[in-house]
Amino acid sequence: MIWSLSWKNVWRNKTRSLVVISAVTVGIISGVMIMGVMQGWIEQRMHDAIYNEVSHIQIHNKEYLGNEEPLFTVIRPEEVISSVEALPGVRAFVQRTKLTAMAATPWAATGLFIYGIDPEKEKSLSEIYKKIVPGAGEYIDKNKDGTILISDKTAEILKLKHYIITSGLFDRLGGRHIPYSVMEKLDSLKEVRFRSPKDFREALRSRLSKKELDKYGKILIDSALDYRIRSRIQITLTDSAGNPVQGTFRVCGIYKTTNTGYDQMSAFVNAGELASLCGTGKPMIHEIAVLLHNIEDAESVRRKLSSLPPGNVVSTWKDLAPDAAYMNDFMILYYFIIIGIIMFALAFGIINTMMMAILERTKELGMLMAIGMNRRKIFSMIMLETTFLTGVGAIAGMISGWLIVSMLGKTGIHFAGWGEGFEAIGFAAVVYPYITTEFFIFVILMVIATAVLSSVWPARKALKLNPVETLRTE
Amino acid sequence: MKILELRNVNKIYDGSEVHVHAVNNISLDFEEGEFAAVVGPSGSGKTTLLNLIGGLDIPTSGTIIIDGTDLSLLKPSQLIDFRLRNIGFVFQSYNLIPVLTAKENVDFIMSLQKWPAEKRDARTMELLTAVGLAERVNSRPAKLSGGQQQRVAVARALASKPKFILADEPTANLDSKAAATLLEIMEKLNLEEKITFIFSTHDPRVVNMARRVITLLDGKVVSDEIRKKENKPA
Repeated sequence: MIWSLSWKNVWRNKTRSLVVISAVTVGIISGVMIMGVMQGWIEQRMHDAIYNEVSHIQIHNKEYLGNEEPLFTVIRPEEVISSVEALPGVRAFVQRTKLTAMAATPWAATGLFIYGIDPEKEKSLSEIYKKIVPGAGEYIDKNKDGTILISDKTAEILKLKHYIITSGLFDRLGGRHIPYSVMEKLDSLKEVRFRSPKDFREALRSRLSKKELDKYGKILIDSALDYRIRSRIQITLTDSAGNPVQGTFRVCGIYKTTNTGYDQMSAFVNAGELASLCGTGKPMIHEIAVLLHNIEDAESVRRKLSSLPPGNVVSTWKDLAPDAAYMNDFMILYYFIIIGIIMFALAFGIINTMMMAILERTKELGMLMAIGMNRRKIFSMIMLETTFLTGVGAIAGMISGWLIVSMLGKTGIHFAGWGEGFEAIGFAAVVYPYITTEFFIFVILMVIATAVLSSVWPARKALKLNPVETLRTE
Repeated sequence: MKILELRNVNKIYDGSEVHVHAVNNISLDFEEGEFAAVVGPSGSGKTTLLNLIGGLDIPTSGTIIIDGTDLSLLKPSQLIDFRLRNIGFVFQSYNLIPVLTAKENVDFIMSLQKWPAEKRDARTMELLTAVGLAERVNSRPAKLSGGQQQRVAVARALASKPKFILADEPTANLDSKAAATLLEIMEKLNLEEKITFIFSTHDPRVVNMARRVITLLDGKVVSDEIRKKENKPA
């Protein structure tokens, strides 16, 4: 009866209850959305860190981590590889040559790491081959000599990337995709070369209205993008003896991950060619990267590899991509902070509503005490009312939030305007929100805690009522 | 059988500016099945006396014993439970729970005592039929007239078969017809269920129907009249 009475009491003043329920619903939707976006970003960052950048485990010469000299190769690599092969739970592994180098074109130069890889084997572990910019060349072919795979960012730095509205593009876009009236405004940009997307966007902004830029800006930027594929890049590095050596490679393709910091520093060539350039005969092994079937096994695999030849060091993805590891580890703290703030703010509204409900029902509460409803039952009734009030809003919020997140999880949220900034710190410009079951359990616990805590004050107020005095009130 | 004893009961309200001796050294006994009215002018102490008997208020001095239990020896939580099991209340302004139907209002007291559902249902229907509201069991108080609401309140007070019922001005808000109907029902239930009714009232109709009339003035009992009335058949 107490449950039924509490539920009916919630609906005594429908408008007031609905206002609070709506506030809780909107609050929970906001929390679900914020956490969905954060979780999506963290999942994406984790995935990209592991599948594009560091894998689950890496093995290096201990000296190499502090001083990336070519001579600090993995010690007794055959033994290391045998140990890795013998491990259960290993999905794939690769050996890489990793050298610091200076890359130069006739227009610019930059420092980067050049990775000597086995392109086909690399595909079993890294998704870089999936990150080739459409229309910007292809992944490295083991059978094609003298080719290099560089990133979009490196191409930009080396001035191998530009934006240009050619006459052909002008004719192709005009009328079909973009009205002639708009294209005419861009006539002065024809055949003008822009080295950075920012400059090109500024040029468009100065000529088009905001509405036109919003509508046609993306198609113009995407269409005008052009890379100098097949251009030559001169690579200068030092061999294992410390002597400078030089080689020329042609750009075979451009890749782009969500982390421009990594992209800017990473270029790939065939390991054999790098060995020839350095005069080592067979590829030097600076890095052995291991992909596991289960990320949770990383620490136990590291322990199992503790008997490797001395001088080698095993690092897990948490050591190699600490940003992703910290975000993952602190997810529950983010849950607590975000949902905690929302529920804290909502608690004031809930308390206010319940206090009003108590004050309006003073006489009735006095009557209930008079006829024999004890303090525990009065307290339970108020607490249940608060829980129902909060719970209805929370359930509505969680269902709505889940639906919205599920929908956006498929379409993604495009942060095009902030893309460069996000990608500079390793986050994608398109995020696919996603929510875990743990999060929903957490929200349910927080809602119950909020309801119980919010009910304490009104319930105490009710318990302090004197039946004789309240029954006298009109 | 004696079910209620008051011995030298006093209630003094001693504020900083006001000193009121609301109940002044009252000693009374009530037997099972009495139909008693407490009368007197406003401020004579009727309601205070009923509150003391009902355990809603604590006497400044004196003893109140209900069916052998001295109320002053009970802790507050025990007193609430004692009220639930032994005393029925009927209030001047009905005081039904507005979100519950007539049936649920009557059922409420029994559910607080954790009676089994079947027993509760049977008792609820029995009482609502007895007060003439068998057809309105699913109506909420707002859909009932004042007289009907007070009849539901009487049914609620009787629900868990208390030792006695305290009714504070039960007919004060009713028209004469509704008041007469209510009084007839209460008298009938008093005789059938052998439950003691104690009223505070100004209403001459209630006074006329009472078999005992206690008159208060300035907190003191000035008369205690037992009337010889023939019990009407059930």
